[in-house]
Amino acid sequence: MRLIIRDDASAVGEYIGDYIAKRINDFKPTAERPFVLGLPTGSSPIPTYQHLIKLVKAGQLSFKHVVTFNMDEYVRLPEDHPESYHTFMFREFFSHVDIPPAQVNILNGNAKDLIGECDAYEARIKAHGGVELFLGGIGEDGHIAFNEPGSSLSSRTRIKTLAYDTILANARFFGNDISKVPRMALTIGVQTVLDSREVVVVVTGQRKALALSQAIENGVNHLWTLSALQTHPWALIVADEDATAELKVKTVKYFKSIERVQEEVEAMHAKLKDDPTEPEQIGSME
Amino acid sequence: MESPNGLVCFTNCLLPLEDGSLVEQDLWIDERRGVILDAQRTFFLRRDRPARVIDLKGNILSPGYLDIQINGAYGFDFSVFDGDHEAYRQGLKNVAEKIVETGVTSLVPTIITQEKSLYPTLLHLLRPYSSPSSATMLGWHAEGPFIQMAKRGAHAPEFLLKAEEGLTSFEKVYGAENLAVQEDWLMACDPNSDSVGVRIVTAAPEIAGVRPAMEEAVKRGVVFSIGHSIASTDIATAAVVGGARLITHLFNAMPQLHHRDPSIIGMLGASPHLAQLPTPFYELIVDGIHSHPNSVRLAYTAYPEGCILITDAMKILDPNLKDGTHEWRDGKRFIKEGDKLYLEGTDTLAGSVVTLDKCVRNFTRFTGCSLGEAIKCATYNPARCLGIEDKKGTLRAGADADLIVLDRKGYVQSTWVKGRQVWTRPHTPLALKQ
Repeated sequence: MRLIIRDDASAVGEYIGDYIAKRINDFKPTAERPFVLGLPTGSSPIPTYQHLIKLVKAGQLSFKHVVTFNMDEYVRLPEDHPESYHTFMFREFFSHVDIPPAQVNILNGNAKDLIGECDAYEARIKAHGGVELFLGGIGEDGHIAFNEPGSSLSSRTRIKTLAYDTILANARFFGNDISKVPRMALTIGVQTVLDSREVVVVVTGQRKALALSQAIENGVNHLWTLSALQTHPWALIVADEDATAELKVKTVKYFKSIERVQEEVEAMHAKLKDDPTEPEQIGSME
Repeated sequence: MESPNGLVCFTNCLLPLEDGSLVEQDLWIDERRGVILDAQRTFFLRRDRPARVIDLKGNILSPGYLDIQINGAYGFDFSVFDGDHEAYRQGLKNVAEKIVETGVTSLVPTIITQEKSLYPTLLHLLRPYSSPSSATMLGWHAEGPFIQMAKRGAHAPEFLLKAEEGLTSFEKVYGAENLAVQEDWLMACDPNSDSVGVRIVTAAPEIAGVRPAMEEAVKRGVVFSIGHSIASTDIATAAVVGGARLITHLFNAMPQLHHRDPSIIGMLGASPHLAQLPTPFYELIVDGIHSHPNSVRLAYTAYPEGCILITDAMKILDPNLKDGTHEWRDGKRFIKEGDKLYLEGTDTLAGSVVTLDKCVRNFTRFTGCSLGEAIKCATYNPARCLGIEDKKGTLRAGADADLIVLDRKGYVQSTWVKGRQVWTRPHTPLALKQ
């Protein structure tokens, strides 16, 4: 796992935006071989989306051959509700970039058969050959997508009851009325995230500090579902200084010291991938 | 230049919202159907996105303006009918095609008091009319003949009437078919379209029979506007109870504000807590002449939600017309001096020649409001007064894509009707610009 630390949330957004752009451009996606990208909602990824939009408008990046899968959606919230994740994704990202609507996948929380919808979603990801890069954020309790504390670390796309903490945290988006916050969501599972070839997680703000330390400094634990990332061969966490508040000085120093060789590792990785005589190698410098 | 899939996205622009704010947001339209789209639904349900993107370079994209009181323009007077139906229709068409350069995409032609036998024909000719390249004629505004002699203004005194038989008097003058129930009237106008149509009658509520007549007409979908009247506060209030929802050119042709009996103007001050009545909308001519800038600000401050900008323009309205002497009618002549219009040889104001886009710009200067709030007074407010805000005067999904592009100072750059550009500002050297 790699941890990149930047000064603030916008610098984090810029870093991840540039990183994803490079990954997509290096991939050289085509209509037959599109880049499959997993996307989150929430406030943390907004600076990343803004930077990606800037790159698209500047002509340095295109989503013409990108297929996206979103992490989650509320159950029984109208699709055009201002707080639905359909609305969020359209408002913050899809309306501003050149992605063809047919290449956008978001779970349908209003499907009659919710279980069928979840199964079909997993099948659709598989049919696309899996997710190339999953971008994620985390909750204060360390949840990734809606995989609340206690979620199975081998879970897949399913219906999930939201934790009380999450309902409380979301009440601000529903006129501070807890009764209006949806109680259920459809979400991809922890295993769905782990199945993707690469995972990038944005962690910003002091409120996420404890979750970050629990996720990377302690063992794998279903009470902090992000910690499952420790078992992933190619994971990157990008945090701002605020989010490192609960980390050990040693941890921060270690990750900062390895950052400078990152470019070299990536260059080496690209070379290995391009050269068929070399054995397949994925993963970072560990 | 057509969009391959018929969808157009306007980007890099400010949209005036219904609360008067201006927000940076894209707007999607369907140029084939001529309507504004719900972009998110188009994206997720129709699985489509505009193939043509128009960069507005930071300009404002507003709904086209609505002028609900205009007497004529480009040399054509809506109130003059010489028996030739075709010539009259041609005159209307000419105005509708040309007026888009002033940002107006919908108007309600207004006819001043006529000899009563002329009404049925005129109102029939003024049924809603639209074409792909012109502003929409929304219907008619009959100013008179049931108005107050003492406040007749330029209306011919010999044609003023009372309505002693109530609605029957109205029907005898305007023609029963023109006062039919809204649905029937619209059906008779154009059975093939979902077109909007409006009818406005300006009358004085103190004239015998006007209030009972109006109560019935209002039920049939006619908009009752109080004007050319000396109604006391009590009578004006009773008129509002009876369904009046508009005041014709506030401050003009009515008693001035008296603190003990504030009359029609005082309706703007009615407390919503005491009366439980809707406060009527009110029209303002913001040429700086017909209402002093201070009066404009006074009215707007009292009741911003009801403010409607109108031109009340005469047939001489034409932004390309030079100052000087021009023919009117019956051998009389006008002197045009900027936005002032005098009868030749007098200092009597002969009506207005201001364009609505200039009214909007004046309004921001006079009141200190933002351009977004001024735009609202020429779009959303009139549309809401007429009950057509789902179709005209807003950027709602499903509304007609009648749009204008304004620069940040409120100058019209281009005009769009039903999703097609119908006018664009000719390139002029900077020095010649207003």
